Amino acid sequence: MDELTHVQSVVTFAWWMVLAMSMLLYIVLDGADLGAGVFSLFVRNPHERGAIMSAMAGTWDANETWLVVGGGVLFGTFPFVYGSLFSYLMVPLALALWGIITRAVSLEFRHLAEERWQRFSDFAFGASSLAVAFFGGMAFGAVLQGFPLTHRSGEVPTYVGGALRFISPFSVWTGIAAVIAVTLAGVLFVRWRFERDEPIRYHAEQWGEVLFYLGLAAVVITLVFSASIFPWAAGKWFGPDWWIWALVLLAVVVAAFKMRTAFRRHHDFSAILWLNLAIAIMAVALMATVYPWLVPGTWTLYAGATPAVSLFTFTLTMGGFFPVMLMYNAYQFWVFRARISALAANH
Amino acid sequence: MSDSALSLFLSRLDFAWITSLHILYPPLTVGLSLLLFGAEWYWVRSNDERWYRLVRFFEKLFIVNFAGAVATGITLEMGFGILYGPFSQAAGPFFGQVLGYETITAFMYEAGFFGLMIFGWGKLSKRMHLFATFNVAFASSVSVMWIVDANSWMQTPAGVVFKDGFFHMVDWVAAILNPDVILGFPHMLVAAVELALCFVAAISAWFVLKRRQVALFQRALKAAVLALVVVAPMQVYLGDGLGRIVADDQPAALAAMEGHFHTNNPDGSVNTGWHIIAWPNAAGDGTAWAITIPHVLSLLETHTWNGAVPGLDSMPAQDRPPVVIPFYAFRVMTAAGFAIMLFAFWGAWLVLRGRMSVEKIVLNPWFLRAAILCGFMPYIAVWCGWWTREVARQPWVVYGLMRTAQGVSHMSVLEASLWLVGYIFFELMVWGGVWYFFAKIIRRGPDMESPVLQNGHQLDALEALSHDPAPLNLSIAHRPGPRSVHR
Repeated sequence: MDELTHVQSVVTFAWWMVLAMSMLLYIVLDGADLGAGVFSLFVRNPHERGAIMSAMAGTWDANETWLVVGGGVLFGTFPFVYGSLFSYLMVPLALALWGIITRAVSLEFRHLAEERWQRFSDFAFGASSLAVAFFGGMAFGAVLQGFPLTHRSGEVPTYVGGALRFISPFSVWTGIAAVIAVTLAGVLFVRWRFERDEPIRYHAEQWGEVLFYLGLAAVVITLVFSASIFPWAAGKWFGPDWWIWALVLLAVVVAAFKMRTAFRRHHDFSAILWLNLAIAIMAVALMATVYPWLVPGTWTLYAGATPAVSLFTFTLTMGGFFPVMLMYNAYQFWVFRARISALAANH
Repeated sequence: MSDSALSLFLSRLDFAWITSLHILYPPLTVGLSLLLFGAEWYWVRSNDERWYRLVRFFEKLFIVNFAGAVATGITLEMGFGILYGPFSQAAGPFFGQVLGYETITAFMYEAGFFGLMIFGWGKLSKRMHLFATFNVAFASSVSVMWIVDANSWMQTPAGVVFKDGFFHMVDWVAAILNPDVILGFPHMLVAAVELALCFVAAISAWFVLKRRQVALFQRALKAAVLALVVVAPMQVYLGDGLGRIVADDQPAALAAMEGHFHTNNPDGSVNTGWHIIAWPNAAGDGTAWAITIPHVLSLLETHTWNGAVPGLDSMPAQDRPPVVIPFYAFRVMTAAGFAIMLFAFWGAWLVLRGRMSVEKIVLNPWFLRAAILCGFMPYIAVWCGWWTREVARQPWVVYGLMRTAQGVSHMSVLEASLWLVGYIFFELMVWGGVWYFFAKIIRRGPDMESPVLQNGHQLDALEALSHDPAPLNLSIAHRPGPRSVHR
């Protein structure tokens, strides 16, 4: 395969960051919606379940656009990774996609359904949220494990390892960890969106206390698990720069405790921001750990990127479009500022 | 069938299913957003409240349709990699790039303004809202361009060299402006407009037939029919042009579409016969039976009385596409296109005779019923058109360069079947949901009572919003109860 020039390598690196940012935004934004869905499985009052869905009715599809953007960037800039990785992840992706479709339908149709059906569609909503979180998390763990590629001359290396290779103790664990993480985010979201005297907020508060410790435990278990099975992770974390990694971990823990303090003081929105900060720090740390791999042991981001000229043109278009996009997004936020404060005023 | 042949067939079916169930929504998004822009522009200019009511009514249907498009579209974006991994890798430098452009320059752009268009009523100034509607329409048309461009490149791949297992870009301009896209894009864009016009005409006709809001829907019906008088013949013209491009660049595809097995007759003379209908024989090397008119094929393709058209027997056996689907899908598409054109002419005649006025329009029940039927025609045409295009390109995924068998992911028969079964269930759920929702909104009819939302940031407009959340959000609007939790 053609080697990338220095400039192209830099551009590839920038695209990798854009990809990671899209996925991070997706996880942070849609994660809360998914978590609220998981939480709704344990809400007995049908009106409260309906209210949880209403709370995200205006934003859930906007949040999911980041998934589409992530997919577009992956296909556009890293087609060699896209084509092999998604064959490898066929089963978990299909299950997560079915979950996404089911969520969309049950969200949009709840109000049309008879009461008998409503109980069923509420369950479908909660179960599909759980499925998206679990299989999304499992796919994530499977990516970290890497996958075997063919090595035939005259062909792009691709995946032939079968549909079930993604299943491993680690990927099952990351699925569970993802469910814990999104449920925590969902509980914070519910607290933020409901009026202060609603009983559901008290319910959510109890969950938040438990999930906080579960979340911390999940982080520790994931780190220990990763360090024990991934040489590329252990090598970096316990290398000469170990103190940097220790500081990063400390920052995550501090952000997590700040989140709990805000949570207890009913500063609902800051609790969400602290949690998101903790997730963002972990995402950056993860990227630094896997670099230069896009899929550890399988594709480096440079080998997976499309060669030469197309990268340049892609960048040209995106460079022109990104400022415009940011401008109209900012304008959109400005226009809807009133809606946010109107809701806040109701609290 | 051997195992690998069966799994190849199933993977093709897998992809055919998810694309066929996706293409039901985007053409309406594209076409209807253009029509909404036109109607809203007319409202802003004339301040005629009826256009406002129509815009708000059809916008509700637009939102439901958009949800269907997103729900089925996310699957498609990942489906290339999942079902056609090696193809995605090989074609990625062009195909992935173009889909990436689509994501950024069309999908995100559209999604941004979609929010303003739906939630911006009463918050934006009228002109600003019109601008948002314009951008949704424009962005979705740009989206059509990129998507059709990617597909057209698979039909007439230009500007690339196939080397080391993937397509290297040598000429971006040639690849983007490949021969097929020049008419392929307008053909799809006009199809979207035609579909939306028929959709509006059908729903309006239903209201007129039920004698509900006749004064309102008479305007929509008349406008849609008159637009169809221009659009429907234009589509026939574009389709004919595209057919000739196929004849030039993909002779095998054309031969399959026409069921043209033999270049020459057994006696050595040129085979000029055009089949109205036909069925291939068991061996697949000729027709079992056919109704054939001599000379028509030569006239259609070469514009001469006895011009030779390459038949399937002039191509190597392993390069021949299947015949039945392209042959019949092509005919059904063409018939639907002509049916819509005739319907538009019928409507124009009624307009000229003065029988489309508010008083007299209800006196044409058969025309109104035909209009309702016409609402389904473009859906059938779009399906058949894409089936023609995709099946007639076989056995290639990138015409002449990469075979479909080389492009599919290495799935077992079981995996491919489970995918299909799962998606049959989930996509039908979406389809049923969308149409059920359509029916519900149509039965409820337009909202004629709420005050017209003029320029934004007016106190009374916001007041109206807080009493009736409908303009804020469709999902919330129809959901009594939960919303009250916030108050």
